[in-house]
Amino acid sequence: MTTLPARPAAPTYDTPESDNYLIHDKGFLSWILTLDHKRIGVMYTVSVLLSFLVGGIFALLVRTELLTPGRTFIDADTFNHFFTLHGAVMVFLVIIPSIPAALGNFVLPIMLGAKDVAFPRLNLFSYHLWIAGAICTVVSLVMGSFDTGWTFYTPYSTTTSAGGVVPVIVGAFILGFSSIFTGMNFIVTIHKLRPPGMTWFRMPLFLWALYATALIQVLATPVLAITLALVAVERLANIGIFNPAMGGDPVLYQHFFWFYSHPAVYIMIVPAMGIISELIAVHSHRQIFGYRFIAFSSVAIAIFSFIVWGHHMFTSGQSPLMNTLFSAITYSVAIPSAVKIFNWICTLYKGSITLNTPMLYALAFIILFTIGGLTGLHLATLSTDVHLHDTYFVVAHFHYTMMGSALIAMVGGLHHWWPKITGRMYNDKLGMIACAIVFIGFNITFFTQFMLGSHGMPRRYYDYQPEFQTYHVISTIGSYIMAGGFVLTAMYLIQSLVSGKRAPANPWGGATLEWECTSPPPYYNFHEAPKVGEPYDFSNLQWDERGEGYVTVKPTEAKA
Amino acid sequence: MMSMLTMLTLAQTADGPTPPTFWMPTGASAHAPSVDSLMWWVNFIMWAFLVMNTALTVYFVWKYRHKVGTKFRTDGPTHNGPLELGWTVGPVLICAVLFIFGFKGYLDLSTPPKDSYDINVTAYKWGWQFKYPNGAQSDDLVVPAGKPVRLVMRASDVLHSCYIPAFRVKQDLVPGRYTYLWFQSDFPTGMDRPTDGHHLFCTEYCGTGHSNMNRRVFVLPQEQFDAWATKQANWLDEIPEEELYWKAGPKLFARCVQCHSLDGTKGIGPTWKGIWERVTGGAGSGNAFADGSTYQSLIGPGKQYATPEDYIRAAIFSPGEHLVQGFGNVMPTFKGQINDKGIDALIGMMKKLDEFDPKTGAWLKAPPTASAK
Repeated sequence: MTTLPARPAAPTYDTPESDNYLIHDKGFLSWILTLDHKRIGVMYTVSVLLSFLVGGIFALLVRTELLTPGRTFIDADTFNHFFTLHGAVMVFLVIIPSIPAALGNFVLPIMLGAKDVAFPRLNLFSYHLWIAGAICTVVSLVMGSFDTGWTFYTPYSTTTSAGGVVPVIVGAFILGFSSIFTGMNFIVTIHKLRPPGMTWFRMPLFLWALYATALIQVLATPVLAITLALVAVERLANIGIFNPAMGGDPVLYQHFFWFYSHPAVYIMIVPAMGIISELIAVHSHRQIFGYRFIAFSSVAIAIFSFIVWGHHMFTSGQSPLMNTLFSAITYSVAIPSAVKIFNWICTLYKGSITLNTPMLYALAFIILFTIGGLTGLHLATLSTDVHLHDTYFVVAHFHYTMMGSALIAMVGGLHHWWPKITGRMYNDKLGMIACAIVFIGFNITFFTQFMLGSHGMPRRYYDYQPEFQTYHVISTIGSYIMAGGFVLTAMYLIQSLVSGKRAPANPWGGATLEWECTSPPPYYNFHEAPKVGEPYDFSNLQWDERGEGYVTVKPTEAKA
Repeated sequence: MMSMLTMLTLAQTADGPTPPTFWMPTGASAHAPSVDSLMWWVNFIMWAFLVMNTALTVYFVWKYRHKVGTKFRTDGPTHNGPLELGWTVGPVLICAVLFIFGFKGYLDLSTPPKDSYDINVTAYKWGWQFKYPNGAQSDDLVVPAGKPVRLVMRASDVLHSCYIPAFRVKQDLVPGRYTYLWFQSDFPTGMDRPTDGHHLFCTEYCGTGHSNMNRRVFVLPQEQFDAWATKQANWLDEIPEEELYWKAGPKLFARCVQCHSLDGTKGIGPTWKGIWERVTGGAGSGNAFADGSTYQSLIGPGKQYATPEDYIRAAIFSPGEHLVQGFGNVMPTFKGQINDKGIDALIGMMKKLDEFDPKTGAWLKAPPTASAK
């Protein structure tokens, strides 16, 4: 029988860790002014989840109104405000910061083997900017809200009488800088703070994904800032930039906007793909298949994402030549995405798969992203896109990628790192049930919207033809089911904080560095400098009955 | 694939519109079949990959499940050059083929034939105005069957988009520039019953009434279309002056009713109720405009508008000049869309509003009796 080697860094199971980042300092100020990346990550996570609740409530209100054609319980203007708020909150406050700023902040330095990010003060500042952006959104609500759609298309956005347009534009502008600073921080951290032994190709794939994302954040977001500033100038000072009544060009706005907002969808999906690479590898306990292909495909997506923005504008009045070019280039983003999917599936092959909540979310991601990605083909193909553009087909497509993929990955990642972040285990059975409910509810909600769209139901419609009602009712029921799944998730996660079992250092059997420090991690992440090994070499891990987690054993002993 | 696509296309070019399927609505234009068959192929690709990915995922998860406490397998391959190259090149080829077919379809869609019949389209918040070469105008789109039709489109305020699902066509209308949309439908729909014709939607979000910009598209055989267009161009001229206000008034008012009520309800624009009193110095004539002027200060001999009729006409042709207090500058100009006889009809209606149903705008005295004269 093998006796476990005594290791100084091994966690003690019966008593809580004497010092960790959660109890290192006390008091409100020690959180709100902290420079610790872990605390900032936790604050981001809480903020993002609260925003998700707000955005989700707006979504349910919109779906409820759509139960019947004509008025169900709110008027057209209120409906327009609600769907706009749903979109803006979900995009700017939830999905864009959800993975890089929330989970990324917590995980990136630990995975890298660093004490913190390169610029901790800038990191805190970017969180404070996020708060400022969120406050601007609230101010906008007080000042009459906005009904422009989250895309702020001109000249509607510069002429609408809704009073909250300028505050929310200021908010999105500020949130943009929050995003830029996070991206800058991550780029520098990955370049400069890798400890000895952490070569580029020993980095976990989540870090590659965060790196690619950070490049997009830094390069694309300034364009959004400029564009929104121009919209505000046009609204406030009546300088004609986008409004043709004053000599401007509304199509120019669309070019500017999508030059940011197309890369922005990769700010959402690329880190999600990074999380899935981790989840699949760790819970399959197997070297990820085609590491370099996955790593490079993240960077490839980041680069391609900058040259496909015109595919949002096939019917905008842009010239047929441009449409043709953008259609051709658009397919190029499909390739690296397909490559990743195949690599993940092959990672399952001959793995040692533990089916638990994070893994279930990763599997849900594979299926939902397959649907979301492949319906992109309908939209990249010119002649079918003309029919499908601005219908519910597009709505369904981007919900499959933004929510079914990006957000599902975020929730999966949250479950994956929850024991590390909080030091507590949650009820895994309830977790799997909730995941199944969300998955089923999601598909009921959004698959029906593909049919709605291809049958000609335009998006952003308050009132609709009676022939579409059946699909709308099914979709709304699905959204309630999905909401139930998320409520259940919130309940067992909160319960785990109160009375969850203490988490071992390595509950899943992961080989990346964050599983070597205690749960929750100590204030400086590592008691001693970590030894950097291969991120996906699971051969030294052994199940430890007593601690209900995995421990690292020396290779010779593992063989015995 | 090419030959199968062609076969599919041919199979659907039947005597009538293609029936709705699981994925697509009725197809009634010349290029609907090619769009539908391409859609079929993309769907096929989607289902094939979805089934394959899902099946492999589920199978592997079941087959390689791990029992806690046992050792991890280490025999899985870490990479495979040819395989990875294969699943990079494979999707590239599929995408290339899709692009070519999509491009081919799009070329047809974006190149109107030279002999096409032009209809001018103006979209505004929140409606459509279709103008035909002979001067006819309509709120619903009426087109001749078996002839290519080109819509020459512009928007008068914000972005709109013209979408006819049955024809598989869509094009944004952009203020400040013209855009084209063309199609050909060989299948007459008739235009007598409310269910006749196809849907026409606005698909670019434009505010409060966005979802109410839906109209019908009627396809008529050429002779019937010509007859309709002639009648439509001259309908106002054929009405005698004395019958104008009740025959033409409600018909023209149908375009105003979306924003202006007759019964005093506040709409997007001010109500018509009491309008003639206001402009002629009666009740409400002291009401202030947004710019501080009043009806009294604007209307009268020697003032900006010499007569109340002048004011009404100006308010329809350049609505933004004096905004009634509490209302936004949203009304489009109707200059060029309504002639002096039409203005006469509307003013006549305003003068005798009590003869009209305050909810529907229908004339209450119909049928006319001898005493009415």
